[in-house]
Amino acid sequence: MSDLNINPGQNPIIPDIGKESDTGTKPGKNSETSFLQHRAAKYETVTKTHVKIYVWELPVRIWHWVNFVAIFTLMITGIYIGKPFASASIPEDAYYSYFMGWARYIHFFCAFIFTANMIYRQYWVFKGNRYAMSNPLRVIFWKETWETIKFYLFFKHKKPHYIGHNPLAQLSYIFFMGLGSVVIIFTGFFLYFEPQPESIYGKMFFSWVPFLFGGDSYTVRSWHHLVAWAFMVFTVIHVYLAFREDYLQRNGTMSSIVTGYKMEPKKHVGEDDEQ
Amino acid sequence: MITKTKKTIMQAALDQGVSRRDFLKMCTALAATMGLDFTQSNQVAEAMETKERVPVVWLQLQDCTGCSESFIRTTHPKAESVLLDMISLEYTEVLSAAAGHQAEEAMKNVLKNYKGEYILAVEGSLPEDAGYLTVGGVDAKETFKEMAEGAKAILAYGSCAAWGGIPAAGPNPTGAKPITSFVKDTPVILVPGCPPIAEVMTGVIGHIITFGQLPELDHLGRPKAFYRHRIHDKCNRRAYFDAGLFVESFDDEGSKQGYCLYKVGCKGPTTYNSCAEMRWNGGISYPIQSGNPCIGCSEAGFWDNGPFYTRRAKIPGTQTTINPDNVGLAATALTAAGVAIHATGTVIKKKLDDKRGEHE
Repeated sequence: MSDLNINPGQNPIIPDIGKESDTGTKPGKNSETSFLQHRAAKYETVTKTHVKIYVWELPVRIWHWVNFVAIFTLMITGIYIGKPFASASIPEDAYYSYFMGWARYIHFFCAFIFTANMIYRQYWVFKGNRYAMSNPLRVIFWKETWETIKFYLFFKHKKPHYIGHNPLAQLSYIFFMGLGSVVIIFTGFFLYFEPQPESIYGKMFFSWVPFLFGGDSYTVRSWHHLVAWAFMVFTVIHVYLAFREDYLQRNGTMSSIVTGYKMEPKKHVGEDDEQ
Repeated sequence: MITKTKKTIMQAALDQGVSRRDFLKMCTALAATMGLDFTQSNQVAEAMETKERVPVVWLQLQDCTGCSESFIRTTHPKAESVLLDMISLEYTEVLSAAAGHQAEEAMKNVLKNYKGEYILAVEGSLPEDAGYLTVGGVDAKETFKEMAEGAKAILAYGSCAAWGGIPAAGPNPTGAKPITSFVKDTPVILVPGCPPIAEVMTGVIGHIITFGQLPELDHLGRPKAFYRHRIHDKCNRRAYFDAGLFVESFDDEGSKQGYCLYKVGCKGPTTYNSCAEMRWNGGISYPIQSGNPCIGCSEAGFWDNGPFYTRRAKIPGTQTTINPDNVGLAATALTAAGVAIHATGTVIKKKLDDKRGEHE
């Protein structure tokens, strides 16, 4: 391939945005192509019909896998802390082991990683390419969310194609990863600082978290448990839909979270196929 | 009891036949109870020497008298020195010798003679509807409001007065509410517990006498000196928690060894109280030390926070408690089942589409 058409940080030129393509090969305006055009991803042509587009930049992929490891560890240790499923089989003194202590230590360590990771991801919302953020405050976003729901319920033959996440997926990230993380981080830090409500950090959370989440320690704790399991429900759906997308589109969705690249038909970046 | 006393607390004590030595012992014990530094016991003694006995009116609303029972079992300071020396208990349904109109008269006199000086101790919650609580032919809510307005401070003794407690537990037939719902400007100190620890009850009064002001309160209005720590963080079984050694049932080996009661429903991790430090009955023991899990009686809504001997999570905004892991696992499994069905549908549809030769 001689024409490595790399457009670093440049918008794939979509000349007919806003009107239906007359040839039927180019995409019309949708919530993705019309979004943040100055932050489009770079791509290179690899075949006559397809391009290799750099969808998930390295910071996003690092965030994803750090998040995966953190959530996985937090969940295992969290379930143990909530309901210790393993215990010493023979009677012994407390002196010899520190099992719950370690579970809690690992849980707290991962909690800080998880939190730092989330903050770092917020930075990338503003710094990364257009697939690193979303804007649900647009009518077209909600119209296409509805189209996507219909598609997932088999009402529709094809959903509008998205190189990044479809609007429904974006909503699920905002709800679970965004709102869910906020709830679990703040309730978590409240619980973490319960032994030191007088400390500076304790005061940061004791002044408002209990009022927002029902007043007493027990209710705050309940929120933490329930949101943790909501994360698990999310994970199942997330992994399934990623595999499904890969199966239906055959565009390298599954490998893209490791490599960052997806294979997309040229028309989706606004180019014609080579003859 | 009705006469307006002008004696200082020390004078009152000495008149009772207490020696000066015993008086100083009482002050030191009180300082320790309040969590003060040893050097501050001088301050306590000085306050007792110069200040008059504080008039106290003790109202009982929707209660069980358990708080009164706890109060009279205080050991340091002793109940008699509190009742006879430190405070002047002007009105109480349990301990008062006077009855009927005489007793009601005593309360009126306090309002007349000690406006802005007396302490109003309240036990029990208040119902929204007058029909549920009438004392001496008067709606208890009106009596409370009248006495609350003229009080220097209100002590909400017990979980009922502080949070609503058992009368307010679902389905709350009387529409019971904590007394704070009916107070306008008078400062309220919450002393929750079912009942509160006796020394905590007297310690709060001791603080007001000694320093002439209310103790420092936390974000929920409880005195920090007694409610700043979780029971879990001061528990004598904490080492077993950290070691991961738990009682599984009340007749197992761990129970005999004194393991942590976390798995048999101990509410210590969500309960703020000083049971683990002050202990009960003169510092002899407290529930966890005696082998029973904490039931979290000093927390808001403890009666609705699920079974005493099981660990649960509450669905926020309801009285429903669930086992979060079982429900969470079920929800995840249900999702997985849904995914399996959806995946099957996806594959079938794709095969049909491919057969029809549909692309794009």
